[in-house]
Order: sequence, then structure tokens, then C-alpha cells
Amino acid sequence: MSLADTARSMGKAFRTFGVAAALTFGTQAMAAAPAAPVAAEAAAPVAAAPAAAASDSAAPAVAAEAAPVDKGYYTPMKPTPGKGQPVDKGWTFQDQYSPIGEQGLWMHDVILMPIIVAISILVLVLLLVVMAKFNKRANPVASKTSHNTLIEVIWTLVPVLILVVIAVPSIRLLAHQYEPAPKGALTVKVTGYQWYWGYTYPDNGGFEVISNMLSEEDALKAGEPGHLAVDNRMVVPAGEPIRIQTIGSDVIHAFAVPSLWFKLDAVPGRINEKVLFIKEPGVYYGQCSELCGARHGYMPIAVEALPRDKFEAWVKTQPGGTVGAPAAAAPAAPAAPAA
Amino acid sequence: MATIPANEGFDAHHDAHDHDHDHKPGFFARWFMSTNHKDIGTLYLIFAIFAGIIGGAVSGIMRAELAEPGIQYLGWWTNFLGGNASDFNATLHMWNVLITAHGLIMVFFMVMPAIIGGFGNWFVPIMIGAPDMAFPRMNNVSFWLTFVGFCSLMLSAFVPGGTGVGAGTGWTVYAPLSTSGSVGPAVDFAIFSLHLSGAGSILGAINFITTIFNMRAPGMTLHKMPLFVWSVLVTAFLLLLALPVLAAAITMLLTDRNFGTTFFDPAGGGDPVLYQHLFWFFGHPEVYIMILPGFGIISQIISTFSKKPVFGYLGMAYAMVAIGVVGFIVWAHHMYTTGLDVNTKMYFTAATMVIAVPTGIKIFSWIATMWGGSIEFKSPMVWAIGFIFLFTVGGVTGVVLANGGVDDNLHDTYYVVAHFHYVLSLGAVTSLFAGFYYWFPKMSGRMHSEFLSHLQFWIFFVGVNLIFFPMHFLGVQGMPRRYPDYALAYSYWNKIASIGYVIMAVSIVIFFINILYAFLAGKKAEANYWGEGATTLEWTLSSPPPFHQFETLPVIDDAAHAH
Amino acid sequence: MVGTVAPDARRNRNVGLMAAGAALAMLGLGYASVPLYRLFCQVTGYGGTTQRATADKLAGVKVAGKMIRVRFDANTAPGLPWMFKPQQVTQDLRIGERKIATFEAKNLSGRPITGTAIFNVSPEQAGKYFNKIQCFCFTEQKLVPGQDVRMPVIYYVDPAILDDPGANNIEEITLSYTFNETPESAAQAHNSAGAKPLALLAEKPLDRAQVRR
Repeated sequence: MSLADTARSMGKAFRTFGVAAALTFGTQAMAAAPAAPVAAEAAAPVAAAPAAAASDSAAPAVAAEAAPVDKGYYTPMKPTPGKGQPVDKGWTFQDQYSPIGEQGLWMHDVILMPIIVAISILVLVLLLVVMAKFNKRANPVASKTSHNTLIEVIWTLVPVLILVVIAVPSIRLLAHQYEPAPKGALTVKVTGYQWYWGYTYPDNGGFEVISNMLSEEDALKAGEPGHLAVDNRMVVPAGEPIRIQTIGSDVIHAFAVPSLWFKLDAVPGRINEKVLFIKEPGVYYGQCSELCGARHGYMPIAVEALPRDKFEAWVKTQPGGTVGAPAAAAPAAPAAPAA
Repeated sequence: MATIPANEGFDAHHDAHDHDHDHKPGFFARWFMSTNHKDIGTLYLIFAIFAGIIGGAVSGIMRAELAEPGIQYLGWWTNFLGGNASDFNATLHMWNVLITAHGLIMVFFMVMPAIIGGFGNWFVPIMIGAPDMAFPRMNNVSFWLTFVGFCSLMLSAFVPGGTGVGAGTGWTVYAPLSTSGSVGPAVDFAIFSLHLSGAGSILGAINFITTIFNMRAPGMTLHKMPLFVWSVLVTAFLLLLALPVLAAAITMLLTDRNFGTTFFDPAGGGDPVLYQHLFWFFGHPEVYIMILPGFGIISQIISTFSKKPVFGYLGMAYAMVAIGVVGFIVWAHHMYTTGLDVNTKMYFTAATMVIAVPTGIKIFSWIATMWGGSIEFKSPMVWAIGFIFLFTVGGVTGVVLANGGVDDNLHDTYYVVAHFHYVLSLGAVTSLFAGFYYWFPKMSGRMHSEFLSHLQFWIFFVGVNLIFFPMHFLGVQGMPRRYPDYALAYSYWNKIASIGYVIMAVSIVIFFINILYAFLAGKKAEANYWGEGATTLEWTLSSPPPFHQFETLPVIDDAAHAH
Repeated sequence: MVGTVAPDARRNRNVGLMAAGAALAMLGLGYASVPLYRLFCQVTGYGGTTQRATADKLAGVKVAGKMIRVRFDANTAPGLPWMFKPQQVTQDLRIGERKIATFEAKNLSGRPITGTAIFNVSPEQAGKYFNKIQCFCFTEQKLVPGQDVRMPVIYYVDPAILDDPGANNIEEITLSYTFNETPESAAQAHNSAGAKPLALLAEKPLDRAQVRR
């Protein structure tokens, strides 16, 4: 019996027996589950338990057993200098590798930048003119003008018009950023911990990749930028929408990759979601962007985008990693009672 | 116009007290139990300078650390404050303590005390022709609350705060980092310090509102008040309405930390995002609290040295009111990445951009005031002109950040740091220096050196631009804020910013030399040392003004300033 | 007005009291924001807050033809030694149709622990339309050491979502839970073990963060 059928018949049962049955469901399950030996549980170090729980919850045991023989393959990609990372003496945005990034960059470079530069120069020029023309030597007697309704109306209305010019593409950009990910898009759940990242792939067996910063020396040895390189990257397919979900484990973190125009807070107890589309394979670096304690500056992000087939090969190298329809990755029957 | 021609308005009522006939209390009573608005203003200014030295020194440590990639000096400071530098986490925690201290000191104990407590106390009563503040005793309480608040903050640096000594939560004190994330009394002390200084500021706000509404001299209608008084009035309302919300929020943080409540703790059904909403409901008006009195000071100075009344006086006054009102409905633009829904984000984008309109009115009105004037480039004027330009640069990057879609990249990067330092460090602080040079001889009775003031301006101008302009580049390149260490690619602009700090520090040294010069060798200041352009009431009094002024209220002549 | 003019103390007191009243009102508003915010979230689905279906609401729901997929996500707060996971990654259902999903939780520690689950959905604009009829998150859950339970949630997606231009393009909704230990339960552990609840929170899975440098 498929899970859906199980659920449906259970739902029918609840409707038949009334809501009270549902209330007692948990209790029944408790009674049904054999009591685990307390001593064995107590032997497990408590400190390690949350870690174990976190990875267990995402990796169903049945899926792990059903892992295909194909063990997959993966060699970490070498980052391309200047791509997906800051450049020495750089003073512009990083090159963008997502459609939203391109639109955002256009918004900044074509709309905002010319306007703000023009306004700054206008104010500077006006100040210089005023200083040259109306200093004490050039103009010994000050006028007493203190009103000019027309000009006051103009400098109220013109900024309003400028703001409308800015607002229209700005709102459009926002609307694009909020288009939800389509059905079947790969889901990656990003968990912020003090002070590292965890990337869970619920559609691929629910394994969690734990990502710590590489030391400066290790990074250089691996040919990667220091302070940005990590031991295990978040690997995703390029050229398709990805559903990024963020959540904080302890305090608020923020998952941010500048070259993908992506930043989303990871708040404890609250899942956030945004779509990410990476146009081409590559390694894209980012850093935690919400103060999260001592090692806030030491939990970088590295996203490696691969062609779909290589991504799937990577998934197979992961413990319990499976590839296929998300439904197939789910255990078909309720997991066997523990212990 | 709001200004009062000194020799027309109330010469007959001129306060002609001789200094020797002032009845000043003894030293302790005068400075520790002071109820005199000028003495309290002086206390605030001295306190703000002292706090500014500490806050500035903290930023010096930060710029030294950031001059090169890697961790160089944090360990030493960790040991200095009694931490354990062999624990790398404790060393990194010290960084968070520094950024927290810098933010809190500069906001609550430098800019606010100087611009509201200092200049506000000194000149609001004088400018409206009042003998003192409405509640002189409460005025004294305000100051000492602020002072004790500062002590509490200093104390927090020496007690445990989680991963190391001191409160390392950032000035925003976001939960849950500030609750479950920071064990130890340091954060409690920091929160308590905000309570104290907040209470002091609320009392001060009540005092200013009452003074301005009730104690104006006959004929001084609201629409004749100098713009500085207008700015303090708007600021007082912002303080009155915003600070209690902060007080509520941080009180809830305290109970979450110590008494098991779960206002912001997800474990008990609270929402950490609510804290951010409350904080920024206060925090956004707070930035206007810091800059509006600066606007007022700049208006006075521009008018004085252009020898012209302020252009579009009513527009200027109501632009500040508009900024104050709109300031209350834009707070979530600080929270674009927390997971706001699209409609909320669109609303806050649009509302935030609206602020550019009244701000633009102010900028253009200042320029129009100068237009047709006969400008004298005395030191306050040079600082004021510098302010207009620097504030414009800070303002336009604010328009960039207002766009929720663009902020998705720039949020929490150095671009934001550059933006708010342009409007605050280069805006509010520049207006502080402008105001200081404008009024220092009035307050002290001694002239400062014009040469040193000009010299300080130019060095300061170069220094702060070198510090903060490259931060825009770092921001767009993706360098996050609040990082003690960074990728190699960011080192070039960081180095330049640190060099800029040294240059800026030199200008501050010149500032102190200038004060010293004034007291040791400065000429005695006359009543109106800026001449015909200076028309507000303080210029009708001697320099320094008598201990009690306007025992006979000045009468403001209506005919003298028809609009 | 000639001679010394005393400030009008009564007028000052009135204005001062009014200002103080305004400050107090804002202080009250600050505290009131907590329940107000909760109410606001519940009414508008803000922050992905889900709805709780009432009997009359249920009666009016018609099943629409369009399918939607619901994903399930489970988290435990640091310091809560529970295993907690959904028993299905996703479910496909018609909009308006009722469905049951189950979650499994197990107490891995040697002491009884009471937990409550907090929840939201993403994308957050779906919160207004995600209705729970029954949920383990409505009550506290107590697990004795080693106890392993399955917990149901019965839910449906309100067909009104199809009329909302801001939400009708959503094809997958994620229902996320985070289990936390109740303060009472943590306090009990504190009393019996002599450890502070805050210290318990500090028991982070540090073993996975390799401390470098």
C-alpha cells in the first residue's frame, strides 16, 4: 500500500471515529512502540545527541538501505579566479551568475548608479557655483530673497518623479525574486549552526552535508581563496531552479552568496524559502551575513554548481544519497520502530 | 522669518546683567546638582567628548585590526579586558565586543548627548527667549542617568558575556544571540545601560517639548522659532515615541534572559523576528534623532554666514516634521532579508524612498539660502558646506539601499557601513563640529583659532572620505560587516580605510589643540562675534551668557520679520 | 511682563504629564506588540503562520481540481536530545482535500522530556491558506526515555489560494516544525541534575564543527 493510500485511509478512519481519535493517536503509538532500554540510551553522550538527531531526521533509514550500488564520483571543482569570489582591489559588484543577479545588477548599474551620481554631482556643482558667485568678495550685499514658490514646487516634484522612475523597475525586480520554485525543483535545506553550515537534501535521501571553513593554509593548498574555502561544499545542479530553504539551529545566521544575488536569514524555528537559479557550473563563495557570535566571520559558504549528471554522481557519493523522483526517496512504509 | 534682528527686536529689554552679579553656586552644587541649562549643556558636551574619545579609540582598534587580513591585535585586547586570548573564540568575541561598544557609545553616548543634551540644552532655551528649561531638576536627572548608563556599558566590557568577556551582540542586540546565545552578565549590563540612557533621553524629550511649547518669549510663535529649535522639537517627539518601544523590547530581552519568559524565544512560542521589528521601530527614528538637530545647526550656520534668512523656512520646518513622521513607517527596510513577504517588502521599499523628498527639500533649500548671499567662509560655514556634500553622498546610497531587491545583495555588507557612516560620522559628526565652532566662543567666551578649525576641516574631510568611501567598494564586492578578518581580495581597500583613520585621528588632535589654544590664548569673544548674519537670540547675550539670562523676557518684534 | 517672570509651573506640569503619558502609551504599545503581533500573524498568515481550521470553516471547503505538493521538514532545538523526522518527504494532494501526515519522534535521553513544536510554512504567503485540523503541535508532547512515537497532522490547503494572485503560483508548500523542550521540562532536569537550563542550551553539537586555527 502506498503512503498516499495509507494516509488517505487513515484520514477516513479519523473522520469516522471523530477528532478524539486523532488526539489519542500519539498515545496509541506510544503504547505500541516497545520501550527502548533506558540504560543503553543513557550511555549515549548527551552532547552528541542533537547532532545525531539532526542527521537522522533527514536521512530515512530505509532510503539508506536502498542506496544503489552505483557509488557515484566527485572531485571538487577548481574555482575560477574572479568568478564567484571577490577580486583584488575590486570596486564593482561581483559578476552575476543568476538571472536575478543580472536583473539586480542592471537595476544598480543602469538605473540607480547614474541617478545617484548625477544628484551628487548636481549638488557639488551647485555648491561650487554658490561659493564662487556668492562669496563676500564677489557679492558684498546679500539679497533678502527667502521664498520662491515655483522653485520649491519643482524641487519637491522632480525628486518624486525620479523616485517613480526608480520604483517601477525596483518593484519588478522584487516581484521576480519572489516567484516561488516550481514543483519538483531540487530542495536544499540550509541550516545555520554556530559556526558552520549544514546542507540537507530531503529529495535525495535526506543526507546532510556539514560544511566547515578551511584554514588559510589548507585553502591555499587546495588552490582556493583563503577565508572563503570550505571542506564540504553545497553542491547543486546548474541551469535549473533550486528551492533554498534556510533555518537557524541556535541563533540567526544569514546565507549569502554575492555573485548569485542571494541573501536569506536563517532564523531559528522558522523556515524561509527563496528560489536560486545558477546559470552555469562554477564555484560561488559567500559568507554568513548576520552576526551570530564569536566565529561569525569564520563560517563561509561555497556553492558548487555542476551539470545535472555530475550533480547526481555527487549525490551518490553521499551517505544515503539517492537520485530520482522525490516521492521515491521517501520511505514507502512507516519506519520500523526503533530499538 | 524666524531670526530676530538683534538691534531691532528687543534691545530695550536686553539682559544687561554684569557677570559679577550672577549668583553661581559652589563647585559641587554647580556641577553635580546643576539645574542650570547651560551648565548641564556643558556637562553633556564634556561627557560626549569623553565618550567620543573612547568610541573613537575603539574604532581605531578596529581599523588597526582590519588594516591587514588575519588577526593581529584582538588577542592583546582580550587579555587586557581579562579574557583568555589562548581561546580563539574568546579572541574573536572581543571583536564583537568592540563593534558593539563602538556602536552603542557613538549613538547613545556621543552623538545624542552632544547634539541634543549639549547644544539642545545650551541653545534651545536661549533661542526661544526662556530663562531655563521647564524642569531644571529633571534636566539634571537626565544627564546623570546618561552618565550612569555609560558606566554600566563600560562595566559590561569586564564581565563574562558568553564566548568571552563583554557584550558581543552588536548594537542591535538581536535575539536569540543576545538571550540564549550570550550567557553571563555582560549583556545584562549593556541592556541596563540602554535602559538608563533611554530613560534619561525620554525625560530630556519631555523637558524639551514642555520648554518649547510653554516657555517661548512673547511674540516667539512656533513659526518664528529658529530652525534649530524646530529640529530639537521634532527630535524630542521622536525620542518620546520611539525610545519607550526600545525600552519595552530590551526589558523583554532581560526577562527572557533572566526570568524564563519567551517573548522572543522560539522555544516558548516567541518570535525573534518580532524583536527586530520592535528594535527597528525605535532604530529608524533613532537615526533621525541623531541627524535632525544637525539639520537645525546647519540651517542656522548657513543663514548666518550667507547673511540671508533661511530659504523656504516653512518648507524647511515641515520637511523635518515629514521626515520624523515618515521615519516611523519605514523600519522594516532594515530587515529585508529576514523573510518578509513580497508585499511587505514592496511597501517598505516605496515608503523608504519617500524620505528622499523632504531630505531633498532640505538640501536644495540650504543651497538656495546661500544663493544670492554674501558668504563668509568662517570655520562653521566650511564645516556646514562640507556637511551638505557629505550628507548628500550618504543620502543617495540610502536610496540605493531602499530598494529591497538590491538590498538582497548589499544587506549587512560594508556598503551599509559606508552609507550610515556617511550620514552619521560624516553627517551628524560634521554638523557637531560645525555647531561646536559656531557656538564654542559663545559658550566659553574665548575665540578658537580659525586657522586650526579650517585645517582640521580639510584633514578631517580627507580622512573620513578615505575611511568610508572605499567601504562602498568593499560592500559591492561582498565583504560582510562585523568581520574581524577577511579574504585577501578585500585587503587593498581595507588598508586605505585604515590609513584614512590615521588622517582623521590627526584632525581630532588638531581639534583638541584648538580648544586648548582658545582657553590659553584665545581672544575674548564679543556678544555677536559672527556679525550681521547672526540674528538669533543667543547673539544678543554676552559671551559667555550670564548664569541666568532673560530674567526679563525679550519681546520679539513682529514687524522685524515679516515673511 | 516686567521683572522676573516665573515659568508657569502648572502649564508646564500639564504639558510634561501629557508628554510622559505619550511615552507610557508607547511603552505599553511595545509590550502589547507581543500579543498583537501573534494575532496579526495568525490572522494574516504573516511569517508563514498556518491557520487552525474551525468547524464552520471546514464545512465551506470544496475540493478544487488543482494538485499541490506539500513537503515536510522537522528540526529539533539544540540541546533537545530527540530524534524527530517526517515519515514522508512530500505528499501530493488536491487543493481543498484533507490529508494526514505523520512525524516520528524519539527521546534519545535518559530522562522524560516534554516538548512543544513550533511551526511555519514556506513560501510564507501560503501561511494564510494552510489549515491544520489536527496537529501534535497543538499540545505538549511528553516522551519517556527511549519512547518512540508517531504523531499525526491533518491539514488541507484552502482553495482560496487559487484566487490570490500573490500565492496562486505556489506549487509546493513546506510545512516545517521545530521541537523545543518546554521551560518546565528543562527546569525539572535542572532540579534533578543540578545543571542550569542555560548551560543545557550551550550543549551544542560542537563535535561537528572542527575547530581550526
